[in-house]
Amino acid sequence: MGMGDRDGAGVVADRAGPPEGRLPGGPTCRVDFSRPLDFTFLGRPVTGFAGDTVASALYAAGVRIFGRSLKYHRPRGLYSMDGESSNTLMRIDGVPNECAETTELRAGMSVRAQNVRGDPRRDVFGFLDAFDRMMPAGFYYRVFHRPRRAWPIFQNGLRRMAGTGVLDPVGFGDGGRAESGVRAERYLNADVAVIGGGAGGMAAALAAAESGLRVCLFERRGWLGGHLDWRTRDFDGVALHRRGEALAARLLEARSRSPEIVKVFTSSPVTGVWGENLVTGFTVGTGDDPFRECHWECRAETVVVAAGCMDRPLVFNQNDRPGVMQVGAAWRLARTYAVRPGGVAVFSVGDDLGLEAAADLAELGVEIRAVADAREVGRQDAELVAALEERGIPVLSGWAASRAMGRGQVKACELRPLNGTGSRRFRCDLLVANAGMQPRIGVLASVGARLAYCSHTHGYRPIELPPGVFLAGSMTGLRDPRSIEASGRLAGHGAVTCCLDGAQERAGKAAATGGREAEATDRHGAASVATARRDADALPGPVAGCGIRHGPGIGRGAKAFVDLDEDGTYKNVVESARQGFDVPELAKRFGGFGLGPGQYRVAGQNLAMIMAEMRGDPVEAATPTTMRPPLAPPSLATVAGPNHDVHKRTPLHGELAGLGAIFRRAGAWERARHFSEDRACRDEIRNVRRNVGILDSSPLGKFRIFGPDALEALQRVYISDMRGARRGRCKYSAMCNDMGQLVDDGLVVREGENDYYLTTSSGRAGPTVEWFRYHTRYDGWDYNLVNLTDVLGSLNIAGPNARKVLDRVTDSDVSNGGFPYLGCRRITIGDGVEARCLRLGFVGELSFELHVPSSYCRYVWDLLIEAGADFGIRPFGLEAQYCLRAEKGHVIIGAESEARVTLTDIGMGWLWDREDTASQKVGAPALRACEKQPGRMKLVGFRVDGSGRGRNGRDGGGPGSGSPRDGAVVVDGGEIVGYVCTTRRSEALGWRYGMALVREGVVGLGGRLLIRQEESPGRPEICTATVVPPPFYDPEGGKPRS
Amino acid sequence: MNWLRLRRLWRPAPLKRHYDTVIIGGGVHGLATAYYLNRDFGITDVAILESQYIGFGGSGRNTAIVRANQRTAENVRLYEEGLRLWAVLTDELDFNLMFFNCGNLSLGHSEASVGAFRMLAGTHNFLGVKSELLDPQQCAEVIPGLDISDRPRFPIQAGLYHPPGGIVRHDAVVWGLAKGASARGAHIHQGCEVRGIETDGGRVTGVRTSLGDIGCNRLGIMAGGYSTAIAAMVGIELPIHPLTIQAMVTHPLKPFLHHVFSSNGYHVYANQTLKGEIATGAHMDPQVNYTTDATAYYLKHQAEALVELMPALRGVRFMRIWAGLADMTPDMAPIMEGELGWDGLYLDAGWGYFGFKSGPVAGKYMAEYMASGERPEMLKAFQLKRFLENRYSGETAAVMKYGHWD
Repeated sequence: MGMGDRDGAGVVADRAGPPEGRLPGGPTCRVDFSRPLDFTFLGRPVTGFAGDTVASALYAAGVRIFGRSLKYHRPRGLYSMDGESSNTLMRIDGVPNECAETTELRAGMSVRAQNVRGDPRRDVFGFLDAFDRMMPAGFYYRVFHRPRRAWPIFQNGLRRMAGTGVLDPVGFGDGGRAESGVRAERYLNADVAVIGGGAGGMAAALAAAESGLRVCLFERRGWLGGHLDWRTRDFDGVALHRRGEALAARLLEARSRSPEIVKVFTSSPVTGVWGENLVTGFTVGTGDDPFRECHWECRAETVVVAAGCMDRPLVFNQNDRPGVMQVGAAWRLARTYAVRPGGVAVFSVGDDLGLEAAADLAELGVEIRAVADAREVGRQDAELVAALEERGIPVLSGWAASRAMGRGQVKACELRPLNGTGSRRFRCDLLVANAGMQPRIGVLASVGARLAYCSHTHGYRPIELPPGVFLAGSMTGLRDPRSIEASGRLAGHGAVTCCLDGAQERAGKAAATGGREAEATDRHGAASVATARRDADALPGPVAGCGIRHGPGIGRGAKAFVDLDEDGTYKNVVESARQGFDVPELAKRFGGFGLGPGQYRVAGQNLAMIMAEMRGDPVEAATPTTMRPPLAPPSLATVAGPNHDVHKRTPLHGELAGLGAIFRRAGAWERARHFSEDRACRDEIRNVRRNVGILDSSPLGKFRIFGPDALEALQRVYISDMRGARRGRCKYSAMCNDMGQLVDDGLVVREGENDYYLTTSSGRAGPTVEWFRYHTRYDGWDYNLVNLTDVLGSLNIAGPNARKVLDRVTDSDVSNGGFPYLGCRRITIGDGVEARCLRLGFVGELSFELHVPSSYCRYVWDLLIEAGADFGIRPFGLEAQYCLRAEKGHVIIGAESEARVTLTDIGMGWLWDREDTASQKVGAPALRACEKQPGRMKLVGFRVDGSGRGRNGRDGGGPGSGSPRDGAVVVDGGEIVGYVCTTRRSEALGWRYGMALVREGVVGLGGRLLIRQEESPGRPEICTATVVPPPFYDPEGGKPRS
Repeated sequence: MNWLRLRRLWRPAPLKRHYDTVIIGGGVHGLATAYYLNRDFGITDVAILESQYIGFGGSGRNTAIVRANQRTAENVRLYEEGLRLWAVLTDELDFNLMFFNCGNLSLGHSEASVGAFRMLAGTHNFLGVKSELLDPQQCAEVIPGLDISDRPRFPIQAGLYHPPGGIVRHDAVVWGLAKGASARGAHIHQGCEVRGIETDGGRVTGVRTSLGDIGCNRLGIMAGGYSTAIAAMVGIELPIHPLTIQAMVTHPLKPFLHHVFSSNGYHVYANQTLKGEIATGAHMDPQVNYTTDATAYYLKHQAEALVELMPALRGVRFMRIWAGLADMTPDMAPIMEGELGWDGLYLDAGWGYFGFKSGPVAGKYMAEYMASGERPEMLKAFQLKRFLENRYSGETAAVMKYGHWD
């Protein structure tokens, strides 16, 4: 089943009793003790259970140190259970930087610690922690560069110390299998996209679903419920988790009623909300999902942001010690994963949720020595305080943690009052600390909301939401579950109204233009929004937050971590400010706060608040640093998805493949480049010159332009006098851009009154219609331009025997008299396939190009191959065509033209109708301006002196051959004056020819070019060539006319 | 133990009513110009006006790649001198710019690219700048992990290895130059937005800013993507289009990618920063605009390209994406000009992809230009009038379309 069809609220029931080291699985437990899963940590066997994350299983097995920190190599432990820092990034099955806190445990996993060799409990670089005084913020900018020679050595040392995960670029370690697995992608449309599957999000989704609008709800955890999910506290006679389950059940019921309308995605973190409400994210596959991960993009009419809150870290001395963790982490370890977070605990919290967690853990048998609450006396939920005091747990209001003690992990802690003196120490192995909750504002930043600090909630709130974006849930500071649900309903109704208003507006527009009557949609108007607002307003509003900026007694030298990922301490903030980096955005970059895997999420709000304090600004001035997507880190494999190779194939692809074609991508097309391993294509070239070759030129641009002003349009974009385009005859011309540079060349045939057929180079088939329209946009001309490129295939037969082959497949007159050079005829092939046949000479031989409907291409191809068998017909590819035309001196755009040269510079000025100014030909003013400019680059032909066969008798050119190759430079004295565009050794001529762009005046006809190539430094190869005029082959041009 | 003494890198300075020279734009170009104005010409009465904070624009948003493997001799010479400045400035500024001289490998995916690379190698080596044409096998020796098989949709056909290039810590360049400029007397004013340019009788006489009017004798516009808007204040229409360009980094990893690599075929360039992240950038958004919004499209585009070129990156995760403005000229070469119709007005803009790598060297020559009033030889190729004369720089081989030029 798909990802939307998982039981989002299912709680595993009927479990066996708890195994050793585990708490009894209560009603909120998601671990199934009946399904043990074996895996390894550092090669040692460990057992977890289905439903565990890697981190919960390791923690249950007694692992406290998960890795080592970036700079100081400090031991780091489990922290948020939401993967908000790099503490628990581990190497799992060889893939580095996998988040142990959120990665679901699978049997057979191999788990290793990072930034340490082997066991993270012992780290040879652990001594670095003692040297933090030597490493003030930005110290690396001030050391290591003297003496200059020493820097590369320091630099390599620094590089080795940096980074965390280890990636093997060649063998992929043991991760080849892990990061493989199917990647899917899915593109969704929704009227309402809801971000967050907590109470607010679910209520919003339900409100929208009830109106029949398409809803997509995205929840990063594997289940719905948000923070209700693990709370057992009674509310209105119902446990909070039951309340969450009931909401989830209603939502899932709505989904099962109309699965096309309501879609619920769990295990689906949102990576960003981009322009025009494009919500992106990925789903981690579980159980039945046919993919390992699925990238999705949802284009939504409206977005409801209900992303919830996360713990705001409390910044105090040694706050990174394993055993110090956030409230949510300790609580969910116990309630969701049935893991005892510690034996003896101290809490330092900033809101009622923290008190509730303390009371709940006490209930579960964790011994709690004290609970500090950073808020003043009287602001706490009295019921919770009473519950704690009933158990003999002192609640210290206006106190907070000031220090954690213990080397490898917490052994004790110190609490202090925020105002006043004194301190109390407690022995403990768990210090649960936060500064209250902070909203997950990344999503808001991502949707483009402007944020400001709210001195009531002490969190960021949007001053202004973009149109179509609605906010719900605890992000707004609401804590009462009824208020949260009401805010969700209000947001949901708001989104619905917005969608309907939009629909009405569009319908109105349609009515205005199309004359259809607008269908009024008033099922769901402002009334329901007003009702929802009244309901919400009647309920408790946002609760006052906690404005604590850091723990008490923090000194300038304190090793109190603001950012765990990059070891950014409070001291570093002070140091940054002292060096002038006294605004968060600069300090972030200088001191490295919020630049690691956790990004702004852990460090952002605290950095802003601490910086404001340092500057002496009020806390309201705390401006957050820029929060950038992705909001959750997706793997490259997942974002890339199946990575379909979208390209075009000609109607003859199969035929060519059968003949051994070697294909290459050319623009959108896959084209036959060679028909043998001989990259010089000698056989293909020889066969065209001696017998007859056949080329699949189907990607050639083919167009019909017709209408009263068709000729005007042609006159504008083509550089020649297009009145010369006649019936039955190909008119060759070119298009320039405004700079006079050649952008296209091709043929134009008049086919009727104001009706023309034209061809463009393959690369221009796409842009040509736009080109015509753009350059005639002010003229109001009446013409139609139809792109026939994909409708018509094109087959080119070229060589002395071409006529004999063609004659066998058609009854039409193809004689030189009846069908002369540059003629264009409608002929009938075989059993009646109508073809446009153009007699051309691009490759310098007698040649016919047949344009036939794509569906007939294979038929015509087979006819020609059969008819040509006696005449030696063989296919040739693009490389052979490239050489054949070069022998004729025919230019290919991009090969013999570039940004520095105009049409006239490359010897095609004869195409330009310089008398015509009335048509305002595109590029003509530039051509006129450049015509007499001195020193421009010009295209010249050359013959390489000597045989061109090179010293070893090799004729491929290149190192050691003494022959130049494409790209060799032309030098004159100490200067580079040009370069070789194309050079080949011609078998037909017996010498090496080429074309080069060379600065005018350096050399004249018959003069010498000094050609130099140096593919490896210090190994130059020099040769000379004589300037000769192209064409090199058949200069009289008799062959195509024969 | 000198590094333990913490001092402000640049001094807060009072906003004077008049400066000899005012530079608009507190990025690498503006700061470098201010630094060299004093170092080489003794001009100390200089103000740098930055509307946000220094390094806010392209200077802090690039992928920090530096190189001198340009296509034309005039560009190669400029960037080659630029490369030599990183070590020199590290010494002079006593600030570690962390030039990591790791070399750049450009990948080619077509027969045509082999010829193009040969032309580059021939040009560079002729000018004494090292570059080497490699076959696919050699590419994989330089960067293990590149997929040189036929599996990628654009198989690797050739490489151009350019040892003199590498990466520099981009923020350090901004801060180091700010330190140097400030120590030499320049005033750096952050949060100072220019709202107008004052002129009198064919001369620029000052600027109107959000912090008040400031008089000056010479004015340099070095505001990256915003230069067009500023030049328009005195009626100068520049052939520069601001385009959004995006870049992103992955989670940090221990070093495994020891060179910069880039691919025109896939429109991707990547390197591993000193911090271990894979920093990667793409080509520009096609629409002209002033936003710095990132888009989901490029995250996907980069991922698709990188996993094809280096499959080991499949399991690596993107951590952050951002966008900046690039000031694109039609020929991908800059405009460094002092003949703009107003005496005392100078422009250094239109750097497109190359604004960071050129910063110090451009500043050095702009300082010379502004101090002497004489166009330095090195800057002759970068005049504004080349567009009027249809004499485009050959920096792009193909006739490119960036913005709505046609």
